[in-house]
Amino acid sequence: MTAAAARADGSAPELLDALAADRATGALTTRSGIFYLAAGHVVHVESAHSPALGDLLTRSGALAPAGWWEAVERAGARQRVGRQLVDSGRLTAGALELAHLGALFDAAYFALAHDGTALRFRPGVAHWLGAVRPVTVATVLRESYRRRALLDRIWPDAAVDTAPLARTPDADPAVLPPRRGRALALVDGGRTAAQIASALAHRTFHTLVELRRLAADGLVAPAPPAPAPPVHPVPGAGRADWDEPDTALLRRLLDALEAL
Amino acid sequence: MANTETALKECLSSIDGATAAALVDYTSGMALGTLGGGKDFNLEVAAAGNTDVVRSKLRTMELLGLKEEIEDILITLNSQYHLIRLLKGRGGNGLFLYLVLDSSRANLAMARHQMRRIENELEV
Repeated sequence: MTAAAARADGSAPELLDALAADRATGALTTRSGIFYLAAGHVVHVESAHSPALGDLLTRSGALAPAGWWEAVERAGARQRVGRQLVDSGRLTAGALELAHLGALFDAAYFALAHDGTALRFRPGVAHWLGAVRPVTVATVLRESYRRRALLDRIWPDAAVDTAPLARTPDADPAVLPPRRGRALALVDGGRTAAQIASALAHRTFHTLVELRRLAADGLVAPAPPAPAPPVHPVPGAGRADWDEPDTALLRRLLDALEAL
Repeated sequence: MANTETALKECLSSIDGATAAALVDYTSGMALGTLGGGKDFNLEVAAAGNTDVVRSKLRTMELLGLKEEIEDILITLNSQYHLIRLLKGRGGNGLFLYLVLDSSRANLAMARHQMRRIENELEV
């Protein structure tokens, strides 16, 4: 494990394959997410475009927010938050596995989306959640491609996944079947798919399916970009959101602090 | 306190005539866990295919304006039963348990009862 170690230029899928073959441990950052590997298996994936595991568990009512934060506090430093949740009886092993796998594959879809360029591999870095149920790199890649194909078959516009969404004038949530109506009701010109999924406490992919269907029916479209604020661009420091490796984490932290 | 693997194991060991089981996300069609099956019965393919069954039934119900929820779906073949149980509960939304039974050895009423119990133990 030397070639890919410090600097990771290349496509994320290729690098993940190489890291899996080397049974590597560490964190691979892409433009839109982070893959955490342990002994060549994917143990966790994070992306700012999909709700974090803690949000899913607490917003769906499976876990009280205080219980989640207590587990993070007590076991975060030892990277055993998952175990702590189960051992303390707050969550069953099955419920944790399912929520975790849901969050993992949702985040992987986004982390591999866009151009899928890997930015950096940090050897030895582990996630504070700890291993819940590791999956192979091949499974994660296959599932992400399959999801992209499924979504593109419904409506081939990937902008729906990440852009703020707006309703078209003739869209009325009341006349739709309940599930789609609930998704449409949350489309307000500002929320993105991830924020809608988070508000519904649904897994992101389920929400993406509903939103692309709504887009295919002409009820929802990516919102026109807000007029740019009059800032004076600093040379070389423009739209470099994802070039900083831990922006995803910082953004999460900001969201969490704002939610308090 | 079961995890998905022990829940699936329990499906095969405690339900008479059960030959294969899978836990499937029916929006994506991905099997989150499989057990049993074999080279003449690919559970991944079965999981993806049965996803379409569940989805089209859900859509039909939406179109009909039915507010009820699907508890389970039974498909009867010549020598097999395929039982699809939609999981309820806080984290189980969007998942189903898929069970293949040998119809000469299975007791359907018992199998449905057992699946309900296993679902509760999984506590999704």
